[in-house]
Parts: sequence; structure tokens; C-alpha cells
Amino acid sequence: MMTRNHVTELLSAYVDEQVSPAERSRIETHLSQCAQCRGHLESLRGSVALVRGLDPVPAPAGFQEAVRARVAETAVSPRRAVALPRLRLSWKTAGVAAAALLVGIFSVNLLREMQPRVVTLEGQRDERQMGQSAGERSAATAPKGAGPLAPSAQPAPGAGNIAPPAATIPGFRRIIRAAHVTLAVDDFDGAVRRLVAIAEGAGGFVANSSYAQTGSTPEGSFTLRVPAPRFGAVLEDIERLGTVEVRRIGGQDVTEEFVDLQARVRNLERHEQRLLSFMDHATKVSELLAIEQELARVRGEIELLTGRLRFIGNQVDLATVEVAMRQRTPKAGGFWDFGATLRRMQAAFLMTIRQILGAIEKAGVLISALAPVLLLAGLGWLIVRRVRARTV
Amino acid sequence: MPDATFRSGERARVDESTLIARSRTGDLQAYDRLVGAYQDRIYNAAFRITGNREDAWDAAQDAFIRGYQGLRSFRGEAGFGTWLHRIAVNAALDIVRRRPRAPQELDPMLAAPDDPAGDVLRRDVQRRVHRAIAALPPDQRTAVVLRDIQGFSYEEIARVMQVPVGTVRSRLARAREGLRVRLADLSRTVFEEDA
Repeated sequence: MMTRNHVTELLSAYVDEQVSPAERSRIETHLSQCAQCRGHLESLRGSVALVRGLDPVPAPAGFQEAVRARVAETAVSPRRAVALPRLRLSWKTAGVAAAALLVGIFSVNLLREMQPRVVTLEGQRDERQMGQSAGERSAATAPKGAGPLAPSAQPAPGAGNIAPPAATIPGFRRIIRAAHVTLAVDDFDGAVRRLVAIAEGAGGFVANSSYAQTGSTPEGSFTLRVPAPRFGAVLEDIERLGTVEVRRIGGQDVTEEFVDLQARVRNLERHEQRLLSFMDHATKVSELLAIEQELARVRGEIELLTGRLRFIGNQVDLATVEVAMRQRTPKAGGFWDFGATLRRMQAAFLMTIRQILGAIEKAGVLISALAPVLLLAGLGWLIVRRVRARTV
Repeated sequence: MPDATFRSGERARVDESTLIARSRTGDLQAYDRLVGAYQDRIYNAAFRITGNREDAWDAAQDAFIRGYQGLRSFRGEAGFGTWLHRIAVNAALDIVRRRPRAPQELDPMLAAPDDPAGDVLRRDVQRRVHRAIAALPPDQRTAVVLRDIQGFSYEEIARVMQVPVGTVRSRLARAREGLRVRLADLSRTVFEEDA
């Protein structure tokens, strides 16, 4: 059957001797039997010879010069060969560069857009806390001064009945405010006097003060108690006394404890009332004694709880500001205060390190933010290179 | 890939590799010498694939420009000539696909200066063969040009066209069959002359 099949398709390869030994024997066996295929081979050889006999057509005159001129056009400078990514001035690379630039600008803008948003969010939160502390007392008396929390509660006034009242009713919050400020001041004694004035001006007082004079610089720490609504203003005034070195502001929400204590006190008072009414109906001395004993226990507990309530109320009403102050420049430094210079050097040294670390951090953040973009760009570059390599 | 192409290329031109290396560092004169060495062969291939002088010029020019630009990606695994042919074939096929046109009447092209004025028959044969090649589909045309005009081996053609050797074989077979049918009357006369 094989020999009966013509070998037309193999003849071209046979002419070039590009057939396997098995194919060759098959072709030759077939050719010896098939005159048609022999004729086919003959005419095939003839046409191949015709093609091979074509005169070569040389490049026309001026061809090499034209290439030379165009190559010189594309070549920029020999120095380019040393440069890492060999830049070729073609429309394609220009397009790629433009695209990369656009992506870069886009991502930088995106970053810049996102950065301030974070900052303002923090700022708003701070404001809200401060506003709350300042507006808290007034909110209790005047509902319009409910502060920034009010709008969130207003759309659903009915919800206050279901949800815990403390969380939804503005002005009901009980927050203990406390702050710590470390200051460096120029005139220590003057600052202390003004500190006292600030506390008293705000309707508060200096609850605690301690002085110390180590070496040539006087230091002191003070505890101020000021009415909670004035907390923010007082803090501002204090910070104006000198350079703020440390500032910590804390707020402890004791609303829950407050409400809980009030409820327990109410329960105990009701219990007390019932005990009193029992006492009126009591007939036996033993009963009276038992009721008396229970009454004493309940009253003691009420006392305890109201005391705690009062303490919390006091803490809430009067915010605490701790101020640590120290003289900035030595009063009697003499000719040259070596310690101060050392401190300044230390501060400068640390500042530089902090700035360097900050820059490194920013660079790290930027790189990680750009990483996906760079990855994409790299991928694109690879593809472009691959495509270019294929066309070449 | 130490194949026949590589070895023969190495043997043929020892200074070619230095010219390539110098061209790669931006030496335009070195590349100019490479162009001088290859321009006729490349132009010939471009002419037979595109079928006319105008496109052949464009394709061959493109090939040398792209060759210079892509010199960095030339790794020497194939001979420089093979590599250049790959670029030229791609450039020519690009042009053919972009603007397919009828093969030119090519009277002046074969008028070599030493051609005897009376050799009209010869010119006519050349013209007919050229037209027969131009009538083939681009893939088959490229295969037959690389094999029977440029004289490449099947492996080299496979590399130039970036297809398996088996595909080269079948394309060549189909191309030659097409030519055989078109040139049947001519080949008989040729054979008679030879015999």
C-alpha cells in the first residue's frame, strides 16, 4: 500500500537530501516503480534549478550611504554604550518614557492626596476631643452647646430610648481629663507666678507644687486642677509660657461607671425605703434588730458609692494638668556653661539622626507605595523589550 | 548552541565578531563595514520577498537600522548573517502585509552591464521565475527564497523564520510545487538544454 502511494510531498525534501533513511528507501522504491513520480521529480528539479539560476540582485548604488546616514541619526553618542539602560531615541522609547512619567506623577499625586487626609483626620479627632472637654459642662446646662457629637445623635432622636443613654445623649459623658506638659522656660520664677495666675484665672488652683534646684537650673513640677470646660484654654495658656518638650493629653471615659454607680445608689436607696417601711410594721425586737442591721449595711454601702460618685464627679469637673518646668538658660552660667553646650550638641546630634531616620522612613514608605507601580512598569518594560526582540 | 551555522560563521569571518563587538559600543564605522559586507545579500532577499525594488529598499534599510539598534540582543547563537536575515525577512514581510502589491515589471533590474544585448530569452526566463515566486503566499515565498536563492540550510531557515524544521520542509514542498506548476514549460526547456 505504501509503495502505491505517491511520494509527491517528500520529493522537495528529497531534492535537498533532507529525508530520513526510511523515507529515502521508501521514495526510491516508489520512484523505481512509478513513472509519474519520476517525471514529477524531474520537473521539480528543473524549477528548483530555475530559481537557483536567478541572477543575484545587488543593492542599488547609494544603499550603504543611506544606511550610514540613518544609523548615524539613530545613534546618539558612543558614551551611551556605557550607560546602564541604553536609551534609544525612538518614538517607542519616548512613548514608554512618557507613560512612565505619567504613571509616576499619578502615583505621587495619589500619595500626596492620601497623606494630608490622614493628617486632617488626626487633627479633627484632636479638635473633637478638645471641643468636647471645653463644651462638656456647658452642654449639661445648654443643649445647643452639645458639641460636635450632637449632629450624629440628632438624626435619630428616638434611638436614645433603646440604646444606652450614656452613649447617645450628648453632654451626658463623664470624662476625666488629664494632661502632662514639660516646658522649658526662660524665666523660671516668672513662669511659676504666671502658672498660678492661669490656674486661678480659670477658677482652679495649684494642688501640688515642688521645687528643686539642681546645679544652676531650677526645676519644678506642679499639679493644676482647673474646671474641665477650661481645660483646653488653660493648656494653651500654659504652653505659651515656654517651649513645649513633652505633651501628653489623656481622657478617661467614666460615663459607664458613673451611670452604674448612680443606678446602684438608686437601688440601694429604694431598698433603704423598703427597710424603713418594714421597720414601721415590725413587731418583734428580733425583727427590728435584723432590719436595723441590714439598714446599717445598706446605708454604709450608699455612703461608699456616693463617695465614689462624688470623687469621680470631682475628677470630671476638675481636669488635672501636670506641668514640669525647667529653666532653659542657666541663671548663673558663669563664663561658659559647658553643660548647656553639651546638651545643645546632643540635641543637635539627635535632631540630625532623627531627621535622617525620618528621611529613610519616608523613602521606605514611598518605595513601598511605588512598588506596585514599579513592578508594573518593569513588567511593561520587559514586554516591550520582548516584543522588540521578536520584531528584530 | 554549537551548531553548524555557528561554526561555519566563525570559520568564515574571524574579524566579523570584532566588527560586531565594536559596532555594539557605538562604532559606526565598524557597523558600516558590516553593512557593506551584507548589503547585497540582504537586499537580494528583500527584493525576492517583497517582489519590487521600492519595497526591497525600504525593507533592507529597515533591516540594517533595526540590526544596529538590536545589536545588543544579538547573542551570537546563530551566525550574524542568519540573524540579519531574520530581521530582514521580518521587515520585508511587514511591508508585504502592510501594502501588498503586484510584482513590478522588472526590466531594468536584470540589465547587467555585461549582459549581451541579444539575451532576451534569458531575461524573459528570469522575469517569469521572479513573477512565479512573487505569486506565492508570503510564507512559502520566504522559505523558497531563503533556501534556493540565499542557500540556507533547513535549520537556518527554521531559525530565520522561527518555525520548526518540519514546517520549513512542508512550506518548501508547497512552494516548490507551486513553482513547478507555474514554470513547467520553462523547466523542460532548461532540462533539454542541460541534457
